[in-house]
Amino acid sequence: MSTGGSTFWSAVRLVARREFTERIRDRGFQISVGVMLVILLASVAIPAALGGGSDKYDVAFLGPQQTQLAQTAERQAALLDVDVRVGTVADRAAAEKALADGGLDAVVDNGRILVDTKLSDPLAAVLQSAWATVERDLRLSARGIDPGAVNEASAIRPMPKTTLDPDADQRDTRKGIAFVGTLVLYGMLMVFCMWVASGVVEEKSSRIVEILLATVPARALLTGKVLGIGLLGLLQMLVTAVVGLAAASALGSVELTGAMIYPVALVLLWFVVGYALYACMFAAAAARVSRQEDLQNVITPMTSLLIGSFLAAVFLGQKGGTIAHVLAYVPPFSAMLQPAMTAADEVSVVENLVAFALALLALVGLVRLAARMYEGAVLRMGGKVGFKEALGAARKR
Amino acid sequence: MLELAGLDKRFGAKVVLDNLSLTVQPGQMFGFVGTNGAGKTTTMRIALGVLAADRGEIRWRGAPVDRKVRRRWGYMPEERGLYPKMRIRDQLVYLAELHGMSRTEAQASAAHWLTRLRVTGAPGDRLETLSLGNQQRVQLAAALVHEPELLVLDEPFSGLDPVGVDVMAGVLRERTAAGASVVFSSHQLELVESLCDAVGIINGGRMHASGTVAELRGDDRAVRYRVRVAGAPAGWADALPGVRVLGPAEEDAVLVELLPGTSEQALLDAGRAAGRVLAFAPAAPSLAELFREVVNGEGTDAEAGEPPVAKPRAGEPAGSDPAAGRESEVGA
Repeated sequence: MSTGGSTFWSAVRLVARREFTERIRDRGFQISVGVMLVILLASVAIPAALGGGSDKYDVAFLGPQQTQLAQTAERQAALLDVDVRVGTVADRAAAEKALADGGLDAVVDNGRILVDTKLSDPLAAVLQSAWATVERDLRLSARGIDPGAVNEASAIRPMPKTTLDPDADQRDTRKGIAFVGTLVLYGMLMVFCMWVASGVVEEKSSRIVEILLATVPARALLTGKVLGIGLLGLLQMLVTAVVGLAAASALGSVELTGAMIYPVALVLLWFVVGYALYACMFAAAAARVSRQEDLQNVITPMTSLLIGSFLAAVFLGQKGGTIAHVLAYVPPFSAMLQPAMTAADEVSVVENLVAFALALLALVGLVRLAARMYEGAVLRMGGKVGFKEALGAARKR
Repeated sequence: MLELAGLDKRFGAKVVLDNLSLTVQPGQMFGFVGTNGAGKTTTMRIALGVLAADRGEIRWRGAPVDRKVRRRWGYMPEERGLYPKMRIRDQLVYLAELHGMSRTEAQASAAHWLTRLRVTGAPGDRLETLSLGNQQRVQLAAALVHEPELLVLDEPFSGLDPVGVDVMAGVLRERTAAGASVVFSSHQLELVESLCDAVGIINGGRMHASGTVAELRGDDRAVRYRVRVAGAPAGWADALPGVRVLGPAEEDAVLVELLPGTSEQALLDAGRAAGRVLAFAPAAPSLAELFREVVNGEGTDAEAGEPPVAKPRAGEPAGSDPAAGRESEVGA
């Protein structure tokens, strides 16, 4: 093995390059990348577009007190820092039409608020307090009290608030990023690990594996395949992250600060580790069968694990709790839980590092086990190769 | 020179190879014959390092082989196999590079072999879009693309049309002429006999005979002649000294065996005395007959039924007498 090292790695490089170039040229892959980017852009752009509309409110008033109500509402809106624009409508019918069209957000008609579907809280506060003020003035005037003096006395500024957490307004955004990140992480791990698995079976079912193994060690073939497909996955993750963050920041829904980029970087990092863990398992399992039809059968435990850790990340990870905190250290669960829990401030940087070290440790063991299973099973054609048989065959070699 | 020495292989309780040895000289074409399950494929897989032997040694040019040596070998497995969806040129370039060629060399060689083997289809076509015959040519190109010093082909002729057989045979001859060694297995014994310099007959995991076809026949084997004499009385050869009549071969021809020390000229003279000699030819047993002897001998008496195992003498390229097995018509 003195000169074996360089041949091993040159073989790995060739195998990896083939996997990378063959797949990046695959029409199906190109389409899936396109679809993914469109979904990503839509998920960033649509809330931004909707959110932009809900910050400004268009209202109109009907009925006897409409002028006072409109003036009072504008005053209240200024005090409460709500952007309210007062428009006019001719009658109830026109008002209903404007509400249905979305031209108006609310219409006050004779002591009743009309909305199309729902009334947002800031607007409700403005309208209710305007209504209360106008009604009170009427009653005061009726009792002979000058409303002007009362108004002056009750013109109190709302209490200012002090937010103790400096990142408070970023927290929701980070949770959003973490959720999208977890979703992308899950999807990418599933897609790319399935590629590794079906690639292994493709080589077995087409029997080219025999030609390859006459030239290349089984481990080089496995390593090259996992690396080549993984590099493509990482590239797609990077593109996704850059496009996603750039679009979100351009639309103003995310401010690009360290606190925003950290969870994204974590998703990328854990994609690498998670992919390595799962890809080894998928490859070792796939080597047991010779036909694509049998693949699902042997791969189910791994896909279940992946789905399970995704559900754990979504339902447990963001809330915290003992189970989530334990699972966050257990590979391969950690791959999906760590980014989500970091974004939710459930785990610290130290915990990130500990979980990362544990995952790497597990990876070292898993790579060896997977390589041995792969070596033992990849040349056995026909039926499903048993675990013991695969490991036993490898030992003899 | 390829040497396999004392290979043993078991799959569970089943003995697949039992102390199997063979030698292939440089520039030699070695045919490997045996019934299904005799151990041909296993031997080839072990030689290529795809399988590990339980015991035994594989040497190339006198030294034990490692992966670096094997990178200069070419292999065409019985099951064939390439990437169905990969473009044929890329496929060949990839395999050539895996065997240690530079990218430029690999590209030139891939283009050369696609042309040389007359693969119809653009180099950018995916393998699965080609006809079966063309896929087989690409498969051969895959074994040849890195200009191997040793070619190991498992049933290379199976499934080929007559033109494909000629192309394959031509290419294999070309490789041996260039100094490469070729080992292939086949059930087409006539083809093996006409192509190969040396033959190995394997049965039940054991090498029963290996050497040139002439050597397999054995020097001490009584020589047979087929003699056709027009107008000769029936039984003209029955009483000739040193001649044993084996029986009528076909219309007015007899098959005789000359006992050691008997001159074939005496037989010819006797024939001419009896009538007009139309044909006089040595009737050497064909490879097919030798093969049947081995396989059937195994069933009756393992020791007595075995033909003598001949080994090519060191330093002498086997197969120096390729015409030895052929029958030639004279006269008429």
